[in-house]
Amino acid sequence: MLELLKHPIYMRWLSILLLLAALPVHAATTKAKLVLPVENAAPGQTVLAGVHLKMAPGWHTYWRNAGDAGSPTEIKWTLPEGVTAGPIQWPIPEKAKLGDLVTYGYHDDVVLLVPLSVAANATGTGDLKAEVSWLECEVQCVPGDAELTAKLAIAPNPKPSAGVSLIESWKAKLPKSGSDIPAKAQWLDGPGGEKRAILIEWTPRDAKAGADFFPYETKGYAVGASTEFLPAEGGKVRLKKFIEKFEGDWPKEVAGLLIEKPSPDAVQGYETKLAISSQKPVLGSGGGGQSLWVMLGFAFLGGLILNVMPCVLPVIALKVVGFVQQSKEAPARVRTHGIIYSLGVLASFLVMALLVIAVKKTGQSASWGMQFKNPIFVIVMTTLVTLVALNLFGLFEVTLGGRTMQAAGDLASKEGATGVFFNGVLATILATPCTAPFLAVALGFAFAQPPLIIIVMFLTMALGLAAPYLILSWFPQWLKILPKPGAWMEKFKIAMGFPMLATALWLLSITHSHFGSNGPFWVGIFLIIVALAVWIWGEFVQRGSGHRGLALMASLVLLLTGYGYALEKELDWRHPAPAGSAGIQRKPGGIPWERWSPEAVASARAAGRPVFVDFTAEWCPTCKLNKKSSMEIASVRKKLQEINAVPLIGDYTLFPPAITEELKRYQRAGVPLNLVYPKDPNAEPVVLPPLLTPGIVLDALEKASRDTQVSAVAK
Amino acid sequence: MKETLITLSGLALSCALAFADAEVGKAAPDFTVKDINGKTHNLSDYKGKIVVLESYNLDCPYVANHYNTGAMQELQGNVTGKDVVWLTVNPNYSDAAKAKKEAEANKIKATAVVHDPAGRIGKAYGFKTTPHMVVIGKDGKVAYNGAIDDKAETEGDPRSAKNYVKEAVAKLQAGEPISVAKTKPYGCGIKYAN
Repeated sequence: MLELLKHPIYMRWLSILLLLAALPVHAATTKAKLVLPVENAAPGQTVLAGVHLKMAPGWHTYWRNAGDAGSPTEIKWTLPEGVTAGPIQWPIPEKAKLGDLVTYGYHDDVVLLVPLSVAANATGTGDLKAEVSWLECEVQCVPGDAELTAKLAIAPNPKPSAGVSLIESWKAKLPKSGSDIPAKAQWLDGPGGEKRAILIEWTPRDAKAGADFFPYETKGYAVGASTEFLPAEGGKVRLKKFIEKFEGDWPKEVAGLLIEKPSPDAVQGYETKLAISSQKPVLGSGGGGQSLWVMLGFAFLGGLILNVMPCVLPVIALKVVGFVQQSKEAPARVRTHGIIYSLGVLASFLVMALLVIAVKKTGQSASWGMQFKNPIFVIVMTTLVTLVALNLFGLFEVTLGGRTMQAAGDLASKEGATGVFFNGVLATILATPCTAPFLAVALGFAFAQPPLIIIVMFLTMALGLAAPYLILSWFPQWLKILPKPGAWMEKFKIAMGFPMLATALWLLSITHSHFGSNGPFWVGIFLIIVALAVWIWGEFVQRGSGHRGLALMASLVLLLTGYGYALEKELDWRHPAPAGSAGIQRKPGGIPWERWSPEAVASARAAGRPVFVDFTAEWCPTCKLNKKSSMEIASVRKKLQEINAVPLIGDYTLFPPAITEELKRYQRAGVPLNLVYPKDPNAEPVVLPPLLTPGIVLDALEKASRDTQVSAVAK
Repeated sequence: MKETLITLSGLALSCALAFADAEVGKAAPDFTVKDINGKTHNLSDYKGKIVVLESYNLDCPYVANHYNTGAMQELQGNVTGKDVVWLTVNPNYSDAAKAKKEAEANKIKATAVVHDPAGRIGKAYGFKTTPHMVVIGKDGKVAYNGAIDDKAETEGDPRSAKNYVKEAVAKLQAGEPISVAKTKPYGCGIKYAN
């Protein structure tokens, strides 16, 4: 029988400390023991030896990566010839948090396993010596060490020892291989700065709750212990971790354990090594990570689609008229116009990109369509669009030259370079509130990017918007497909005045959120007076024969009076008193919306009810379309009632910061955003796509209520 | 008994502490603290001087090794002078009288020893462990932030390790760039009083 010698612990440090200073000193209380699973080992066999550390209550020792403080246990082996020791196999540690200090370690006891390989030609009996040193901490830390020895006999017939059960039970607590888990790691931000966020994503085998990533020890950088959950669809888990760099380059990969908790008191760890991809992930919009190129593709396509959005359509019509006229001209001139138009679009997108960057720099959250937050902008735009409509109706002409109205009204007439440029600008400004579905993804991506990428994204979008004109101007022969100019053009022009008028009405309705019901009324009055003034000007100043001076005077007096009375006196338009989001519109028999707030979500979830959130805005046509097509319909109303869901509405018309914050969390730059929180209060909310169908909403609501139904069946 | 109290106060801390970070190259956060002799120290008082901040807890075996071998006192003595101020900061929750006695018994050669359980310096500079060192340049910017040396040991002579603080101060005095400006601090976790 082989003798297993257990030596007492040597505490060298104790004598040193006692000699050097009269300090209050703790003795290390952790007991160490060397355990072998065999009485004797066969040649060629690998024996899993165990170093058993038993900590006093409240004390802990550390994992291979101690975390913010502490130090991993070390084992130094002295082995007989023919026996070699492998690296320590560490059981899955516990993550302990005290304030901001996070460490990985073991309480009560732990067996660190070390594979000892016996050579095929080894014989005889040898002495094993393990010098174990550790740091044990409670509130204070104390280093401890021990020299453990054992005899290992090598004989042809291996015999298990009494220690085998302990070794086997701790072997079960080792992490498993995670090589078959398709996990991935991606940088979330650029390489500037000392800290950089990464995303670790995988699909856990069991529950999502309790998932974590325990990083291995590293040199030159450290993976922070804090773990943030990001929303993820399906069964996926998305963790955000921070890497802090101390020296050298950013790491190319991270190694550690994917931690899963199949049940509250069970833990599984899967050893993994992940290459960190610099592809930017797109979060909350389904699918995995999207490369910059794919995003640029979306941006271009989004820009292209903006051409047919209701807000831009009137401008496109004007452009068609313009092209018909241009087709008569020299190809070079047409080409120049095409380029100038594109430059107009590009310049406006560049200005927007710079604005976004500036706003981001000041620490505020930038969002799409935010210029509509400014009531002055809205009113000026409404007036401008009305003037364009009146011009299309033929109430007045805009002649080339430095008139004030040139910019707005030059559109329909023969276009000079300035007019063409402004045309591009107008198309851009009108396009912003129409967040086409493609654009939502691209924008959500762009707003979270460094400045250069934002500029590239915006310019790509601009190219998409300008592309049709640019192409047509380059291949003027394609212009010939367009009908010949003639009397129809005048009629077409007048017809196009109506969609322009509709655009004006839509802009007018936005003033409601700035001024309450006074807004549309007084701005409407002002617009009628403007129309009258403009008509007088067109009819009697431009086309009239006599009393031009009088007519001009009447026109100006009307304009000033209208402005002074309606806008200044009645509306006080430069000092808006917002109606606020007080008016939640509840249609009789419709969805009983409540106002959104993080607290409202929390209290509904605490009550175990699913929550349906609609972030919407007055200026968002897509939101209104969604509401009409997929929310305020009988089936959805019924479903909401059935699953006892709380419907919450968040009005983003005036850009409340709380909602901007929430949009950012889901990587959206603007509305629409619809969230469905499942009944299970711990589950992540489901993010619905920007463009809804009843099926999508019903499906999400059904899933959100699934818990209820499963348990109902179980009962 | 005292240990129990310390443990309890440690547990009471589990709520999140607001930590700032002293990023290398950025302006060092200002502070006003009193040392164990009652003298007030403002960081702004030391403009134009190099300032070394040392997080200290003699109960931590890593710190103890630096003091018991005399290596820390030697470094403090060599570095502290007319253009270098060295503040030894005890961020752990222990009583001021003890801190004063300890400083005398161990012949600490720092400019001043600061008893700072509230973490006026510790939290502003993101001290999570003892020892944790910060060196501030004459321009008031953080020049070094991290471990004292490259040997996280509780025994042996620290003089054989590469001392980052010694190097940082020497380079600052010579007007040369610091080669290692940031490392991961090692040691025992700090338990701040609330």
